[in-house]
Amino acid sequence: MEKSDILYRLAQAVIDMDATRATEAAAAVIQHNVDPYEAIIEGLAKGMDKVNELFENEEYFVPEILLCADAMNAGIEVLRPYLPKETTWNKKKVVIGVVKGDTHDIGKNLVKIMLDNAGFEMHDLGRNVPYAKFVDTAGELKADLVCLSTLMTTTMDGMQVIIDDLKKAGIASRVMVGGGPISQGFAKNIGADGYAKNAAEAVKVAKGLFQEIHVPLILKTPELASVRRNQEGAR
Amino acid sequence: MKSGDDMAPKERMLATLQGKEVDRLLVSPLILNFASRSLNMTVRSFCTNGANMGNANIACFKKYRHDIIYLFSTTSTLAEAMGTKMYFPEDDAPQVETPLIQTREDLKRLKPVNPEKDGRLPVYLEAVKRCVDAIGNEVFIVPVIGAPFTTSAALRGTETFIKELYTDPELIHTLMKVATQSVKNLIDTYVKAGGVPVTVEPVATGSMISEKHFREFVLPYLKEIYAHIHSYGLPGVLHICGKTKRVIQCMAESGADILSIDNIDLLEAKELVGEKVCLMGNVSPADGMLKGSPDLIMAMVKECVAKAADNPKGFIVATGCEVPIHTPHENMVAFLEAGRKYARLPVNLN
Repeated sequence: MEKSDILYRLAQAVIDMDATRATEAAAAVIQHNVDPYEAIIEGLAKGMDKVNELFENEEYFVPEILLCADAMNAGIEVLRPYLPKETTWNKKKVVIGVVKGDTHDIGKNLVKIMLDNAGFEMHDLGRNVPYAKFVDTAGELKADLVCLSTLMTTTMDGMQVIIDDLKKAGIASRVMVGGGPISQGFAKNIGADGYAKNAAEAVKVAKGLFQEIHVPLILKTPELASVRRNQEGAR
Repeated sequence: MKSGDDMAPKERMLATLQGKEVDRLLVSPLILNFASRSLNMTVRSFCTNGANMGNANIACFKKYRHDIIYLFSTTSTLAEAMGTKMYFPEDDAPQVETPLIQTREDLKRLKPVNPEKDGRLPVYLEAVKRCVDAIGNEVFIVPVIGAPFTTSAALRGTETFIKELYTDPELIHTLMKVATQSVKNLIDTYVKAGGVPVTVEPVATGSMISEKHFREFVLPYLKEIYAHIHSYGLPGVLHICGKTKRVIQCMAESGADILSIDNIDLLEAKELVGEKVCLMGNVSPADGMLKGSPDLIMAMVKECVAKAADNPKGFIVATGCEVPIHTPHENMVAFLEAGRKYARLPVNLN
């Protein structure tokens, strides 16, 4: 089987929300000695890029995104053991959670999945998270980004508290906010660095906040530097 | 507050529904848990005690004289009565903690509600009765029911549920059928108590699911609900917040007479479905009611009236979604004043 064929099947399985086909295509990657890292980047993640595009164009909605991400993760699970062990992690650390007072976490989960797929290292605090927990975790991890999500207007004020507390504690993490009741104006008002109106936008905004730094997808390994150079050359 | 109105809210609503002459458009901010503020109680004590819920709404009506009294705490109340476990924050709306249906095994536990007994439905029922007794001659008392899709999502857990639109459509329909029967049981009980029930279906918003799924999994059940409401000679009201441009045609086909909408331009909504349904909306709850100034809110109300007062099937001035509980009193006053001023008929915005 041709490498290009395998990569196409990986991408297409993700787009078609088909975890079974993603698993099969990932098995073919190993069987035909295709570089697993390349399979992730040029196959599964390419598919997820297309999914993001479909979501932005309102051809895909939340159920589709969730199932595409399941398919992608099914493929990654097959490939993971074959990725080089020695890895130089250079991923941006992100702390994410739903602010205290709110347990609606579907939006947060979606953003988590999208950012994870885009190469960020995600630390999920869950839902109904006390303000101090965001600040403490961001401090401990030296997080690059804190993502605050809410669906309820009552918890909006909590976001302001968290941003203020981060500053008071001298933590340099940037903050991105999002969720049903929040607007660009509100985000600016409370001093957030970024605002995303949906999960697809969250990826763009987060990447935009770290524009000067190349965010590697999934894993960055010295062995595979040549692969990445080729890709970058091809862009 | 002194209203300066010529008609009582109930009289106005009846005349509006019958197409008779009215002094002004209905002005109906979605005051739900915000009513707790009128008696300075926490949301938890408001929504777990029928006397509290009723008394707070009565006090709230005396304070603002808004056109419709809604009784509501969360869209998951019906799922809760069917067995979903809720979490009750001290001063915020209850939220789903553990959905009833964890595995297919749990389907054995699924049955339509008994509104007299199950969950917090008796709390609502008492609130309805209290409000009907105290102010029912002046204003309609409107308990809000989570419609079948929203109720089913809370029975299963939203994230799992919406994936199963693809992976287990049969399970979805199983849940929807029982949820629909529960909604109908609750409608019967509320009507008997003197309430005018309305339905909310926010999980079926266009930000969440596609029109295709709406048609397949939501619309048939909504049609059943509104046919049932119509059998009582009552109007069907459907509220869906979030983005609804993609699904508003379906909403208009559901048999609902009034669509309460949020993130959609009223001009666009009027263009799309104005010949079929009365529209209701859509001052922003967050940017307007909670964070805006009274002047901004007045301007937002004026804009809504300018855009939709001439909607062929009518228009109700409202907020796009629930009025946040921490909305300042002045902002609520501004909303209602603006409504009374700009929505006076014939409309003259100058």
